[in-house]
Amino acid sequence: MGGRVSFLAQIPQQIVNGISLGSVYGLIAIGYSMVYGTLGMLNFAHGEVFMVGAFGGWLAMGLLLPFLSGPALVLPVMAAASLTAAAVGLATERFAYRPLRRAPRLAPLIAALGVSMFLQNAVMLATGGRAKTYLTSAVIPPEAGITLGGTFISFLRLMVVAVAAVLMLGLDYVVRHTYTGKAMRAVAEDPEAAAWTGVSVNRVVAAAFFLGSLLAGVGGVMVGLLYSQVDFYMGFSAGMKAFTACVLGGIGSLHGAMVGGLVLGLLESLGVAFVSPVYRDVIAFSLLIVTLVLRPQGILGRVRGQRA
Amino acid sequence: MKNLGLTGLAVALLALALLVTACGSGAPAGQGSPGAQPKGVIRIGAAGPYTGDLSKIGLDSLNAIRMAVEEANRAGGVDGYQIEVAVGDDAGDAAQAALVAQKFAADPTVVGVVGPMNSNCVNAALPIYEKAGLVIISQSATNPALTEQGYRVMFRVCPRDDAQGPAAARFIVEELKARKVYLIDDKGTYGQGLADQVEAALKQLGVSVVRGQISPTDRDFSAILTRVRQEAPDLVYLALPNPAQAASLLIQARSMKIQARFMGGDGLKEKDQLIKGSQGAAEGFYVTAIGRDVREVPEAAGFVKAFEERYGAMSIFSGQSYEATNILIAAIRKAGVKDGKVDRAAVRDAVASTRDFRGILGFPVSFDSKGDVVGGSIYVLQVRGPDFVEVKAYPIGGK
Repeated sequence: MGGRVSFLAQIPQQIVNGISLGSVYGLIAIGYSMVYGTLGMLNFAHGEVFMVGAFGGWLAMGLLLPFLSGPALVLPVMAAASLTAAAVGLATERFAYRPLRRAPRLAPLIAALGVSMFLQNAVMLATGGRAKTYLTSAVIPPEAGITLGGTFISFLRLMVVAVAAVLMLGLDYVVRHTYTGKAMRAVAEDPEAAAWTGVSVNRVVAAAFFLGSLLAGVGGVMVGLLYSQVDFYMGFSAGMKAFTACVLGGIGSLHGAMVGGLVLGLLESLGVAFVSPVYRDVIAFSLLIVTLVLRPQGILGRVRGQRA
Repeated sequence: MKNLGLTGLAVALLALALLVTACGSGAPAGQGSPGAQPKGVIRIGAAGPYTGDLSKIGLDSLNAIRMAVEEANRAGGVDGYQIEVAVGDDAGDAAQAALVAQKFAADPTVVGVVGPMNSNCVNAALPIYEKAGLVIISQSATNPALTEQGYRVMFRVCPRDDAQGPAAARFIVEELKARKVYLIDDKGTYGQGLADQVEAALKQLGVSVVRGQISPTDRDFSAILTRVRQEAPDLVYLALPNPAQAASLLIQARSMKIQARFMGGDGLKEKDQLIKGSQGAAEGFYVTAIGRDVREVPEAAGFVKAFEERYGAMSIFSGQSYEATNILIAAIRKAGVKDGKVDRAAVRDAVASTRDFRGILGFPVSFDSKGDVVGGSIYVLQVRGPDFVEVKAYPIGGK
């Protein structure tokens, strides 16, 4: 059975797993948070945007493999995936959510569920419901890496963390130092006041969807590379986990999404070191419940006045 | 408001499309008096996972069923009547399998079913088929309990997991000399059932066994593989029905430098998703098969050639599907067409009385009183390069 010693010995490895998994959760969670921050809406179709990005990356990889190989593939595939995801994200905003901007709160939520089902089924029909393979070994061999002590850190996981870190820093810069970022923060505070100062709310919302979907698309490629399989259903659980990460970190806060993602990834991976891996999702969603009950504003959130 | 014209048009078109589909879809149930069977229509139901994770295997099976039916029709059908295939997609999901069963049961022209393919689907659908007296022949459901519950309509042309388990254990002990085995299953009817059988057989042979479980939708195996690495077994056995999932696991296992050998159940004998999808990580992977690879059976040469010409490489259960369909067609012929109708009970009895059917499986097929197939062997194959190679055979019931 192993005993106490083997559990403790697993921990460094699970921390490595947790950080890479958490980085991906963070990438997807940011999109959720951004949309919630600017629109006050939970975009349940965001997980599907991530999934579409993963398939976009898979298509790109298939097209590029005869010409490129190795790490040089990463950037073009990521670009293709993020642009596909961004296109889908923008389209859903323009056609499914914008018309409902003035409708009661429930309407965009239901629209989001509808979009989610539509995208899932569209991809399912297009792929025959079958998983598609990411030829990870043609990009970065999964067994290449360094071993510290008993812990194996693959270059693949290092790359995932690095990409996520760079993107999150980049987004942070955009939000803090560019006009668009400032406009987004303004709309998040008070859309009417922002409109009075000349901010185009439509443009800001579109920018939020664009950036959030871009990141989710990259997340899709990362997951494809890590697990070598993408299927039409992966968006559902990824979306749920990302939502959990948002709540954990503080919904509406970008830093909260990043932190929430990492915390969720770590706690999930460490948790399954102690219980059977079957309970992975149980751990994640128990965290969600506990957070909502004990500290609904999340780790980084502040107790809000009116915007619920 | 200005978009109402466009939206209105879209809604109208959608409604029209739905209306057309609803009217155009198969089952005549509801039209005319219940139980009225249009003359001259005989249908065989094909139940299986035609969408979803297992759809590659499912669709290859469906093609084999269609081929058998076409050949029978070219030879004159049944008493001059042509046979049609009614497709029921259960996506490997028990709830959907029950719906498919209801659809077939309610359609009086369906007189027999080939499938379902998955043990959990058969389990859910059997009570409905039994109530309708509709006979089913499964080409691939291996859970032993399915023929132990007294259902009269249940038949299968594949061996059971209580034969597969012990054969796998014998191979693991006698050929691979393993002393410690880590068993992974996905908590499903098939996976857990097979893992239980393998565990029991291994324990009897004195091998130490550690069990681990994952979920069917799991893609991140770092947690369970870290445990596997801790336990350092000689062999890891994957009791999983999903080749794509197994391929992902094998890749991650290689990335974590796990030294053990790997072996899997019959659901993993699949070329595309397992061998190609694992990008080399499946090299040397052992797999048990519940039937001979029909390409090795001389009697099947004609079938193999015709299938591969039309549909490309076949996956594991195509041969069994073809055989099951032919057995069913023979039974329908035996029951005969009376008054333009075929009696379900007569078909069921004809299937039960199948003796020494010589088809393409390489051995004469008979059904015992429980509905299990008599004869056959469990084969062990290994992944070498781009294909599976037969390594050992264990006759069922023999030594």
